[in-house]
Amino acid sequence: MYIGIDVGGTCTDAVLLDNGLVRATAIVPSSDDIISSLLQALDQIMKGVPAELIERVVFSTTLITNLIAEKKYDPVGLILIPGPGLSHDHYKYNTATYIIPGAIDYRGREIMPLRYEDIEKAVEDLNNKGYKKVAAVGKFSVRNNKHEKEVASRVKWLHPEWHVEMGHQVAGQLNFPRRAVTTMLTCATREKYSFFVDSVREALTRRGIEGEVFILKADGGTMPLNKVTGVPIETIFSGPAASTLGVQALLPPGETAVVVDIGGTTTDLALILGGQPLLASRGAPVYEQLTQVRALAVKSVPVGGDSLVERVGREILVYSERLGPPYCLGGPMPTPSDALRVLGLTRLGSDKKAHEAMEMLGRPLGMSCSEVAQRVVKMVIDIITQEIEEMFIQWEQEPAYRVWEVLQKRKERPGMVVGVGGGASGFITQIAARIGCNPVIPPYAPVANAIGAAVAMPTLQVSLRADTEQGFYTIEQEGFQGKIEKDPFGEEDALQLANEWLRKRAEKYGLGNMIEKTECTRRDVFTMVRNWITTGRIYDICVQTPRGIVAHIGTGTRGEI
Amino acid sequence: MSAKKTGLIFFPAFDWAISPTHPEREERLLYTRDQIFEEGVMDLPQIHEYAPRLASMHDISRTHFCVPRVQSQVTEAHLIAAGSTLQLGDSVINGEIKNGFAMVRPPGHHAMRVVHGNRGFCSINNEAILVEYLRRRHGIRKVAIVDSDAHHGDGTQDIFYHDPDVLFISFHQDGRTIFPGTGFTNELGGPGAYARTLNVPLPPGTADETFMYVVDNLVLPVVRDFQPEIIINSAGQDNHYTDPLGSMRFTARAYADFTRKLKPDLVVLEGGYAIETALPYINLAIILALAGADYSYVMEPDYWPGRFKESPERMSKVHKMVDQLLETWAKRDQVDLQKIFGTGKYYQRKKFIYYDTDYIEEEQLEKVCICPDCPGYILIESRGERNYREPIRIYAISVPFQACNACQNEAYEIYEQYKARAKYDYVYMQDKTTDTCMAFDKKKGQEWMTEG
Repeated sequence: MYIGIDVGGTCTDAVLLDNGLVRATAIVPSSDDIISSLLQALDQIMKGVPAELIERVVFSTTLITNLIAEKKYDPVGLILIPGPGLSHDHYKYNTATYIIPGAIDYRGREIMPLRYEDIEKAVEDLNNKGYKKVAAVGKFSVRNNKHEKEVASRVKWLHPEWHVEMGHQVAGQLNFPRRAVTTMLTCATREKYSFFVDSVREALTRRGIEGEVFILKADGGTMPLNKVTGVPIETIFSGPAASTLGVQALLPPGETAVVVDIGGTTTDLALILGGQPLLASRGAPVYEQLTQVRALAVKSVPVGGDSLVERVGREILVYSERLGPPYCLGGPMPTPSDALRVLGLTRLGSDKKAHEAMEMLGRPLGMSCSEVAQRVVKMVIDIITQEIEEMFIQWEQEPAYRVWEVLQKRKERPGMVVGVGGGASGFITQIAARIGCNPVIPPYAPVANAIGAAVAMPTLQVSLRADTEQGFYTIEQEGFQGKIEKDPFGEEDALQLANEWLRKRAEKYGLGNMIEKTECTRRDVFTMVRNWITTGRIYDICVQTPRGIVAHIGTGTRGEI
Repeated sequence: MSAKKTGLIFFPAFDWAISPTHPEREERLLYTRDQIFEEGVMDLPQIHEYAPRLASMHDISRTHFCVPRVQSQVTEAHLIAAGSTLQLGDSVINGEIKNGFAMVRPPGHHAMRVVHGNRGFCSINNEAILVEYLRRRHGIRKVAIVDSDAHHGDGTQDIFYHDPDVLFISFHQDGRTIFPGTGFTNELGGPGAYARTLNVPLPPGTADETFMYVVDNLVLPVVRDFQPEIIINSAGQDNHYTDPLGSMRFTARAYADFTRKLKPDLVVLEGGYAIETALPYINLAIILALAGADYSYVMEPDYWPGRFKESPERMSKVHKMVDQLLETWAKRDQVDLQKIFGTGKYYQRKKFIYYDTDYIEEEQLEKVCICPDCPGYILIESRGERNYREPIRIYAISVPFQACNACQNEAYEIYEQYKARAKYDYVYMQDKTTDTCMAFDKKKGQEWMTEG
């Protein structure tokens, strides 16, 4: 049996799955003491189930996201080595930032060496300001980590107790500004993350659960909990990934659907294309800071059941702010939820209060309660459907850098609109009607996020870049940089090396059985010609374990782990 | 300043090459990719990245006579490079972006009106296809094209040689020292478009100072005077001091200065084969210049200010040339055209064109009808010979979009006459007034037609 638990800011949701069937669900309020709410949720779903039967527990959490939102993390000093390129005025991160001279180029060649006195001066300054955490990030450090390592070792030599994070270890893709942000956030949240992991372990131990424990990542894959302390940032934004995977599990395989998760103040939109959740082409933004975190493409629209509705002159406007609960639940101002109540599309709160709310809006305009309610609901639906269309266009408009990618571009539109989240039931039918789809509110929609966690599978990727002229290769996900031993080193050798690393990674995470099936998602070969002679090749290869979920709910099918 | 963004289409065609070791191979924009991605350029608020799109066969027929057909001359990569240019053209005209850079390959500025094969790494001319598209789709008339490639933009020159509404300025390494061996100051356009083609052959070794002199004293004033609706820059990057094919000494900074001064609406990548030492820096600098961002931190690793000194002889030579060209430009409407081009119904020129990539030799006789009411239709007789194969003979008629009724009617009569002549394997008709393209295959007795 599998357990999925989503630890959110307000609620902790849990499900127990048994052979593709939902055995039990629980929604308990989250408390400051994570352990107690976890125990409460576990006890609810495990009534009468012996702990030995639990094979696997998967967590998803928005705790780290919330920490970042509330800026509740320790200050991190930045030591950046940008070298030539964009103006250094771009590198402003709201924290003590030191730009030191030094440069590496795109092939990993050192253009300008570091000077120790520059590092020491920055460290001394950080020390005077009371910083104890440092992120060292260099441009092209993923091609050559020498400078970042030099900075880190100097900092450690001066202050052994400080925590230093290096860019190439955390953010292996090309994008220096995003690497700086990702490294800084990783450094900032690491301790809090360890605290979460310890709480989870404690709760499970107390209930005698000894199955494997995983945590959901933003891309919808999982990692064993005890192995991810390295990269907590990957688990941010796993909330939307959880509900999207939950919907994937609740639908028949192969569907194309829009997932609409209508909450109090925001509506999260996600796409499932041909049965697979769409991955974002760029890293996730975290509160307006762009990161390198691989994530599902989730669009947050600032409108929800509790959004403020106001009359301005002869117009009725829906704002993105929330002033409190809906009027029908004792809130201060009219909201879309009140409109739904008036139209009989929800049973929430007081009908009388809801009518009052609509009347407040409508009376000066000479509109009846139901006219106002219809207008408000239509406005919300307009906003959401427009964003859905834009999301599809954005997907079609994703850049392509290879001929085959341009040629395989397709135009696809959803067959169904799937509603999850509290506000879904009232809106989903009309959203679907507007875009010509079938509305679906799956059973267990309120715990779709926990189901998503429960069915998520581990995923592993390896991106290898080998430069035979320079004689070295890098593994993006590991921050590894090593010598190419074989000579000559051909395309097949590169692919084999990438697969070896995938195996190594799988073993490292205790997922040795994962790599029977692997797929190659990128295989670029660049012949290097200098002075009319072929001097080497660059291989750019990505291999990964297939994406997927353990089971589709209710079908009784069960995939392999 | 406008808050609008700079549009980018980056299409490095990582899975397309003329051959694995050809300069036009997968690797060409690899380090440019590395540089602009690592800088986070696509995340800049001033930048909007568009997806590439395919040009249609008709978009190409509107500009070229591909022998025997478009399909036989272009690959999908060509359609994507041309299509991406059109996408940015649409976005600029629609006002979505303030300017755009099609960082695409394969390039196109050596492709002439008739295409028997690939020459100078080019099969179809992305800028020319764009111009005809903008005219047809958006009603644009006057266009300035400034070609900053080290090689003379002979393809673009050929296509617009008789078009008074296209100003074509090319500065490049002296044709006596580099492919394609043309682009001299006496190539000034046909009788209907005199001085709308200007060539500035620069001596090998020319550095930034002279480059900027030509830009400030010739390119900018002439473009301003011409008052184009749209400015296109054919941005070849092989004038760079590290280019393996060229012998010039421009820097990335100078390319950016040029871009900032010219303010092109669209920049289209052409040549440039110093793929490590020049392209990452020039491309980045051009993007930043277009976006109005600071590019003063962009610098080649082996450059230091003052590295290249301009020789006084070179400078005075170029100054003289610029003076002469300025005079030609100023007096363009006062010259006695009959004295230069002769009298008669047609002005004709004979061309011998060599396709270096595909080893094809073409002989061409081009005639333009001298018409008082319009630029006149163009008649082309061409014979292409590849190795020892049977030569292909074609006859092609092009009716410009400004054509008068009489010219249009006459052109159709000629098309019908030539279809009946046994001498030509293919006869083509390109009527830009109605956006109709026709081709007649003698052997099959078959005619194709496309309409926009």
